[in-house]
Amino acid sequence: MKIQLSYVVRRVVFAIATLIAAIIMNFLLPRLIGGDPAEMIASQTALGSAEVAEGLRKQFGLDNPSLIHQFGKYITQLLQGNLGISYFNYPVPVKDVLWNALPWTLGTVVIATLLSYAIGWLIGIKGALKPGSWFDNSALGVSFFINSVPYFWIGIMLIVIFAYKLDWFPLGQAISVDYDTLSPMGKVGSIVHHAVLPVLSLALASVASHILVLRNNLIRVLSEDYMVLARAKGLSARRRVFHYGIRNAFLPSFTGFMLSLGHVVGGAITMEIVFSYPGIGMLINNAILNHDYPLIQGAFLVIAVSIIAVNLIADLIYPFIDPRVNLN
Amino acid sequence: MKKVNLPLDGSRRWNGKQLAGGAILAFFAAAAFIGPLIAPYPKNDIEFEAWLTPSMKHLLGTDSYGQDVFSQLIYGTQTSFLVGVIAGFITTIIGVLVGLTAGFYRKWVSDALMFIVDLLLIIPVIALMIILASFLPSMGLTSIILVIGLLSWLYMARSIRSQTLSEKQRGYVEAARVVGMSNFEIMTKEILPNLFPIIAANLVSVTTQAVLAEAGLSFLGIGDPRSVSWGTILTLAHTNNAIMYDAWWWIIPPGIAIALFCYGFVLLGNGTLERFRAKRGAQQHFS
Repeated sequence: MKIQLSYVVRRVVFAIATLIAAIIMNFLLPRLIGGDPAEMIASQTALGSAEVAEGLRKQFGLDNPSLIHQFGKYITQLLQGNLGISYFNYPVPVKDVLWNALPWTLGTVVIATLLSYAIGWLIGIKGALKPGSWFDNSALGVSFFINSVPYFWIGIMLIVIFAYKLDWFPLGQAISVDYDTLSPMGKVGSIVHHAVLPVLSLALASVASHILVLRNNLIRVLSEDYMVLARAKGLSARRRVFHYGIRNAFLPSFTGFMLSLGHVVGGAITMEIVFSYPGIGMLINNAILNHDYPLIQGAFLVIAVSIIAVNLIADLIYPFIDPRVNLN
Repeated sequence: MKKVNLPLDGSRRWNGKQLAGGAILAFFAAAAFIGPLIAPYPKNDIEFEAWLTPSMKHLLGTDSYGQDVFSQLIYGTQTSFLVGVIAGFITTIIGVLVGLTAGFYRKWVSDALMFIVDLLLIIPVIALMIILASFLPSMGLTSIILVIGLLSWLYMARSIRSQTLSEKQRGYVEAARVVGMSNFEIMTKEILPNLFPIIAANLVSVTTQAVLAEAGLSFLGIGDPRSVSWGTILTLAHTNNAIMYDAWWWIIPPGIAIALFCYGFVLLGNGTLERFRAKRGAQQHFS
């Protein structure tokens, strides 16, 4: 299997276009909404004064009314890795604040995504093999329920049961208070112990769509002509399902992965607030409450860049899974 | 206009799922618009003792501020209902316009529109909402509805587009062209009526998403702090440590209300799609 160069080029160009769109939106939206962002920020923060507003205006390049000039300044700062100074964490640069928070979010999101796929597929396959059975019906019912409640409510319920009532896991935070005194193994243990509930609730919140997608696709695939042929050839049920069925049912599920990523990140943001987990979501929440605009914009950019990067990787893996995409 | 009347559809106008979903939604509509008249206590009334457990006087107890949770839940229904229905409606109008146009006109119109949709699909909508909402000068109910309504149409546009593409292949479009109908007439008078069920199914899912988005935004601290919605009730319960006070009556009912409300829409949507499939055969494309 060889990836065609034209396909790779197209996906990379698309990723770059998305990135540019995200940057332009990040630049333009606050300016379009109206008013003078510097004035607004100055008036809404503790630092508020005419001098602060003037300083901010300079920093944003707002002293020059030309949007093109402002955009040039914005891009220059961005290329230098300068996302401004966080007001709430003054004088720490936004870049550093985000950099410290990113591993927590990335870790939980990645593990939760893998976990929810594994569970979702297992349940989806079992359901699709016997549609209408009690297992299938209850899996469907639970899936619809999960899809109908806010992510953070699932997190709260897990805290109530497993942290508050049963006391198996901590109520929140990412590390224990005595973290610095722990041995290296103890540190890892503490991190894992604290991550279980956030990861579990995130996985649970997104497992429903995986179940539904895989189940419905597998049922459709199992009724295709080539499955009838496989049966006529006398292939075992096991071989039919695992070698023919799942391979084909898997494809839309993989496409769904790219689309669902945004949802998972959105879920992670609220989930971190529930668990006081020190990732990007917690930062965003604090930034909103404290009107820390540079941090909000920086967080948006980090989320956009991560998702665009993961999408690009998924796009480049895709031809190996489905050789047909190379053709068009 | 094309009408297909198969016997499958003749016996019953509404199937069980549609009826059940409709009944749930009617219940919530009643709670939203008549509820405030019959709610036990006035909105934001804080005259009671805090953390009271449920009793006949307070069906769902009181919260940390001494408000009757049951009454707040009823007032919240109105906000959540309005956000869901109006934002869902705005989303649907944009989704249909973009999807129909992109599906009907080939070449560059379609390519350009879908390129924009694909671009925006990758950037998480919640992040966009956060940016927009935090820079808006004030965040009232109207702004919340607009932010959600204007940013949620992407999936829908894709789904309407692929359905339009398949409708365009059908004979009746060709026939309409032969009769001399303009593009606009074919789109609005011929194709649009045939898209109705899929529009209805999408309307249902965007409405559900809007209710969940409102809850999520409230939880993030974006939104009108004075308004009462299921989302703000849950947010207050969380920030006031309802878990530590064992106040399940403050945490569980708003979640169940959201779930039930959304489930009503899901039932209605699935029922509508099933009826559509039974009527038109199973060769429809949904994406």
